[in-house]
Amino acid sequence: MMERRCYFLAGDVLSNAVMGAAAAWLAAALVDLSWSMSVGMFAGMLAGMGTGLLLIPVFVGLFGAMEVMLPVMLTAMLSGMVFGMVCAMQTPALPVLLIGGGTIGILVLLLTYAVNAVLHGKAS
Amino acid sequence: MDSSTRKKWDFSAVFYDLMAWGPERRWAPRKRELFSSMHGKVLFVAVGTGQDIPFFPPGRDITGIDISPRMLAKARERAARYSGSLELREMDIHALEFADQSFDQVVTSCTFCSVPDPVAGLVALRRVLKPGGELSMFEHTGSRVFPFNLMLDVMTPIWKPIGPEMNRDTVTNVKKAGFEIRQVDNVYLDVVKIIIATSPE
Repeated sequence: MMERRCYFLAGDVLSNAVMGAAAAWLAAALVDLSWSMSVGMFAGMLAGMGTGLLLIPVFVGLFGAMEVMLPVMLTAMLSGMVFGMVCAMQTPALPVLLIGGGTIGILVLLLTYAVNAVLHGKAS
Repeated sequence: MDSSTRKKWDFSAVFYDLMAWGPERRWAPRKRELFSSMHGKVLFVAVGTGQDIPFFPPGRDITGIDISPRMLAKARERAARYSGSLELREMDIHALEFADQSFDQVVTSCTFCSVPDPVAGLVALRRVLKPGGELSMFEHTGSRVFPFNLMLDVMTPIWKPIGPEMNRDTVTNVKKAGFEIRQVDNVYLDVVKIIIATSPE
């Protein structure tokens, strides 16, 4: 059965949005206009992963194991990559980082819900 | 006794309940459903701190084992509240101290992500299970779907020192150990699974 309990649905949204925003902010703190886009993207991804490793234990303890770990880690990597690349080209304002990172988190969560809807149930 | 595995889970026992609060509540409905099929003499492998005990149906005859004495010390508090027969023993799955064909059913819950040699562990379970007996598993495994397979491969070496491996092919391991797979249900993606298998007659 797909997750329908409000506590866990809210937890999924919160953890992915917070992770996306945090990874974007950290990528922006690390990468500036002197970086090349590709190096900025890679550094942003690593920064995102590092943020993920720090925050995931908190979210897992509150909201679930794989259901939290997988989308949140993917969010961290993607948000870090996107904003690492962006920050090598321009200097986004803080609200852009937070809203942009949070949006990436929600999109990743929706993607995992969609894949889960296809895969869940009898496998063999 | 595998002392390095015991040491790892003794260490994890300190914060295990804190980390398991969310996962156990999220998985509670599916675990209750799986455990409701417990019947006859049941072996529950890797009982840990006993987080699963409240999901056991009442009145069953269950033996729970774990390699970590610190985990078992916490599990004993929960076992005391179980309304049925529940014996807890410190034991390594690779060296089970039970006679052949001792159990009607073996149940595992997030166990085979951590057993050092999963196929050997499953073969040991087949030995103590009666012919035709049921193996019921709630396990997280690797994935075949990108990018989740990549994520699990990346996270495994990071988590392994203090916890589970995240990219194991447990369904294949169950087959390799000689069980006959009856049913595999995906609980979350193709990662969290309920696996039902039987020991050949």
